[in-house]
Amino acid sequence: MQFVFKLIPQLIAWTIMVLLLLRGIPGRRRGVSLWAAGGFTMGVVGYALLARLASGTVPLGIIRCAVGGSFFLLWVVAVAAVYRSTVRDFPLVRVERFVESPFCAWGGGAIVGMVAGGISASLFPGSESGTVRFLVFSTLALAGVLLVVVARKVEWRLAPSIGVTPSSLPAVLVALLLFSSSSSLVLDLFSPLSMKVMKGTHDFVHQFMESILIPDHIFIRPAIWGYIGFLFGKEVGFWGGMVIWFFPVILISLAIYLEPLPSVAQIRQGAQRRRLLAAAISKKRRTLVIPAIALAALAGAAYRSSFPNVEYWDPKPLSVTATPAGELFIPRKGEVDLEDGRLHKYLYKQGGKEVRFFVLMTPAGKLTVVLDACAICKPDGYGQTEGMVLCYYCKTLIPLDTVGKPGGCNPVPVSFLEREDGVRLDALTLVNSWNRTVQTTTKSSGEGK
Amino acid sequence: MASMIIETAGLTKSYGEIRALKPLDLTVPEGEWLSVMGHSGSGKSTLLNLVGGLDRPTAGMLKVGGEDLLGRDEDGLARFRREFVGIIFQQHHLIPYLNALENVMLAQYFHSVPDEAEARSALERVGLGHRLKNRPGELSGGEQQRVCIARAIINSPRLLLGDEPTGNLDHGSTTMVLELLRELRVEERFTIIMVTHNQEVAAWGDRTIYLDDGVLVREEKKLVEG
Repeated sequence: MQFVFKLIPQLIAWTIMVLLLLRGIPGRRRGVSLWAAGGFTMGVVGYALLARLASGTVPLGIIRCAVGGSFFLLWVVAVAAVYRSTVRDFPLVRVERFVESPFCAWGGGAIVGMVAGGISASLFPGSESGTVRFLVFSTLALAGVLLVVVARKVEWRLAPSIGVTPSSLPAVLVALLLFSSSSSLVLDLFSPLSMKVMKGTHDFVHQFMESILIPDHIFIRPAIWGYIGFLFGKEVGFWGGMVIWFFPVILISLAIYLEPLPSVAQIRQGAQRRRLLAAAISKKRRTLVIPAIALAALAGAAYRSSFPNVEYWDPKPLSVTATPAGELFIPRKGEVDLEDGRLHKYLYKQGGKEVRFFVLMTPAGKLTVVLDACAICKPDGYGQTEGMVLCYYCKTLIPLDTVGKPGGCNPVPVSFLEREDGVRLDALTLVNSWNRTVQTTTKSSGEGK
Repeated sequence: MASMIIETAGLTKSYGEIRALKPLDLTVPEGEWLSVMGHSGSGKSTLLNLVGGLDRPTAGMLKVGGEDLLGRDEDGLARFRREFVGIIFQQHHLIPYLNALENVMLAQYFHSVPDEAEARSALERVGLGHRLKNRPGELSGGEQQRVCIARAIINSPRLLLGDEPTGNLDHGSTTMVLELLRELRVEERFTIIMVTHNQEVAAWGDRTIYLDDGVLVREEKKLVEG
């Protein structure tokens, strides 16, 4: 049932995509409809086959690459659109001919369909039986094809004045694909983008510090550290991500706005001249509706990325105490079962300080002990979902297989001894490791690194 | 033979029980200056409102510019008024807090987009190049009526309607306004339908029709001189 609820926005987005494809390439409605419907079906079937034949991450990786690649292409289109709007002799007719060509129109419809179909299919949980999967995927493919028919009917009734330009069409299609992919934590691109910006800023500032352009000396006042510390916060990543996220569509809107009005100087009668100008201005305003839809879809994607509708496994930390020898012992089968594949959090208190860590059995069957913090982010901790653990601070997804390996946003590993009855770890090593990590990540402002 | 800009057949307008216009058959050739005379309540203004798309007939056929006005919805009628008709009223209906230039530009705005140079030129054509920045309250009656003429012709209408446009002007101003209309009609080639009580003013037209109690009772054509 949850799958159906998750699917509704995807299918609405798919209908809008087809509708705008039909409006954007009016000369090839029939071909675009057929290829889009075929593409959607291929996307669903392709995902189903790949998920069965290969590892679950392969089809998701392909979809992610396709959506990410389309976003990169959108940047190229946006820059080209701004260039075109400022260069009068740009061969626009050639661009329009290319968009109208069967290769571009049908291929575009098919690719968009495949990605949309793949995203929709990926929402279905993989645990169901083969028959159920077959039925669900068949129904989904059929729904995708039916929605193409619906989109055709709606497009006929849509006001003819709503036009889709060659640059606003990719903008809205990519935005809707990004919106669709944001429904899944694995396919979402906004969180990784903002994380990359955050880490990029972080590394850049570190490079400056290391090159002593920002000397890490005691004479730098705490207030200055406060400002420097702000650069390490996730807000920088979020807003930087927002700029990269929205900018191509804003550029395309700007390009439409900058598009020169038709020359009417040769028309003698003032009223007729003004009527033509008014019509051109009005058309330009209506054309901006499509980038506005794209911006709304991108905002929706960013929102869904920031507030994902996912339930995390995040148990309350169990309090542990050290033996007189300074050793912590976590039994394998005690209050919790360490071998159930879920992360189990613990809290150790020493001298007013609290240390959080968790124990997890990886899919490879190996027990691992890590801090509930990483070496980069503010120690907000981790939650577990869909075969991943997720850093609450930067929203990075970490596959369960890699938990226990150091680096990046992975939880910091703690050395421990695995025994038959459980795991043993040295309390002092744990506390030192926590202090080192947290001191580094909250050094400057307390806001985090 | 000139084409007909207005064609009516059995055109009727009733306000409740009152029949303001009884079935009227009328044709107006393109480019004609038609004067409409009659007593108060004879249906002159009703006729003007109907052909100007300001009101809808109760029955009958009404074609303006070859198009049936009855088939148009409210938006269509608004577009018709905007692009096809210019109207001059006795009471001017100028916006008191806008100057002459802005009053003319307002008509451009509702038609398409404002163009100050064109509005300025229109006011210069009606002899008000020196009064551009004056508000209606600072202009004489004749000057205000000339602003109205500039406003009415700024969107190049094919039909210019006047509802007693000289009704409250002195003799000098009346002559000035009528001469101006005659000149502009030659230049812009529009058709004029002017409602008036004044026989002298009506005589400026090519033809005069007389209405009485909503019925066309008489018609006079101007004899071509020479």
